[in-house]
Amino acid sequence: MLSSLLLKEWLKLKHYFIAALLLNCGICLKIFFDIRQQMHSEHAEMVWYQAIHIQTVLYQDIRYLPLVTGLVLAAAQFVPEMLGRRLRLSLHLPTSRVVMLFFSLLSGFLLYLMICGLDAALIYLTLKIYFPVEVAASSLPTMLPWMLAGLLAYFGGVTVLLEINWSRRIFLLLVFAVLIIMLFSGSGYGWFIPALPWLIVLVPLALLSVFESGRRFQERGV
Amino acid sequence: MNAIEVHNLRHQYSERVIYEDLNFSIPEGSICGLLGKNGQGKTTLVNILMGFLKPVGGRCLVLGEDSHDLPPATRTRIGLLHEGHLAYEFMTISQTEKFYRGCYPNWERDVFFNLVEKMGLPHGHKVGNMSCGQRSQVVLGVIMAQNPDLLILDDYSMGLDAGYRRLFLDVLHDFSALGGKTIFVTSHIIQDLEQLVDTMLFIDQGEIMQTGLDDFMGSFHKYVFVNESELSLHKDDIIKGIEQRGDQVSLYSFAEAEQVVQHLTTLGIQVKDLHKVDMTLEDGFIGLMGKY
Repeated sequence: MLSSLLLKEWLKLKHYFIAALLLNCGICLKIFFDIRQQMHSEHAEMVWYQAIHIQTVLYQDIRYLPLVTGLVLAAAQFVPEMLGRRLRLSLHLPTSRVVMLFFSLLSGFLLYLMICGLDAALIYLTLKIYFPVEVAASSLPTMLPWMLAGLLAYFGGVTVLLEINWSRRIFLLLVFAVLIIMLFSGSGYGWFIPALPWLIVLVPLALLSVFESGRRFQERGV
Repeated sequence: MNAIEVHNLRHQYSERVIYEDLNFSIPEGSICGLLGKNGQGKTTLVNILMGFLKPVGGRCLVLGEDSHDLPPATRTRIGLLHEGHLAYEFMTISQTEKFYRGCYPNWERDVFFNLVEKMGLPHGHKVGNMSCGQRSQVVLGVIMAQNPDLLILDDYSMGLDAGYRRLFLDVLHDFSALGGKTIFVTSHIIQDLEQLVDTMLFIDQGEIMQTGLDDFMGSFHKYVFVNESELSLHKDDIIKGIEQRGDQVSLYSFAEAEQVVQHLTTLGIQVKDLHKVDMTLEDGFIGLMGKY
């Protein structure tokens, strides 16, 4: 059963995953070329001043990429399930609704994690070429709120797609939008570090909204 | 034992009550057709039976379990065909087989491919690129390969030409012949149901009438006659349905011809040449439920 569920999700996701992967790699490559260009065309002291003293984040281009990635993965997985209410096929499979939804989400989450992991590694390696390791390492907590926003966008996208009631759908959309905007509200390096442990603990709570929308779909999915 | 039991079922959408107190049961091994005009709650009932709608009140048991809370083990014993032959359109034929094979421990691969290969399509053909008829074969293959004990088919004939409909009937007959298999079916093509079912459920304005097909076809009659009077006919205890074209009247009744003639005479109708004619199930449906 588990392998079948993962197969189904992979079949839906594979093209979008590859496209998202290529887009993320492309943006990371652009960031690398931009920094290299800056290093060659400006004095190193000037770049250091901009990056460290003014706190200009040199990998700003990647800021909204996890958000887009999360939304694309959610749509790729659940739009086909909602067209013609095909989710009913999955809900009739001989496994519980929660297990079915959990493995669907796990598939999307793991692919999202791979893309974010690749982004983090590429940005870290790029910065490590030109900056001290401390600067390179600081990119991880700086990008983490953006990646958590992408994860929230993924869970939020799935929740909104599964929800059958339009007023509830709009309410959920607003709730997730506010949470995501909050994660993008700061600037500079590691501005969210004090709150990160709490966020990492709290973001999985969004899963509850997915399961609740799934339950409502099954009980009122006409 | 009953495959389906409905007790005091009540359902409503906002203020609109669909059923107040619906009761019926389908014994194991029977083939039951649900018939009703549009808007009488057929789809609602099928959705409740399929477990995709929790009724407001009452109980609906499918293979002994609450339909909206079926354990996975019971779901392996139920094959569902959704209206429009729902299938995963992003899968190919072979991917569909691989997916379902992993879900059902008693999956019968040969049954699936025997049905699907009748279409002569390569296994790499995508379901989303198939015609409605071809897709219906894949869905039928999926359901049959599960070897379920209960089939619930929601308007299986929708969008199918005569050939594919006949193929469906052949497969369902063979399935039923295996013994102990129950089929609950709705269809808008009533003449197909006449070849398949042994029990009928007529649903109308929140009420259900359950009858054996042979009992119904034996006890419900269609009479034709010429109405020579100016008086018009209305439904009552004897007259269950009327179709009138000019002075030619088709009258439906559970009563015998003599009783009908006597009744019409009492009503002042001048009847000429009343005689019983052969009635199809579709005639019977129209006669009992009306046209609109």
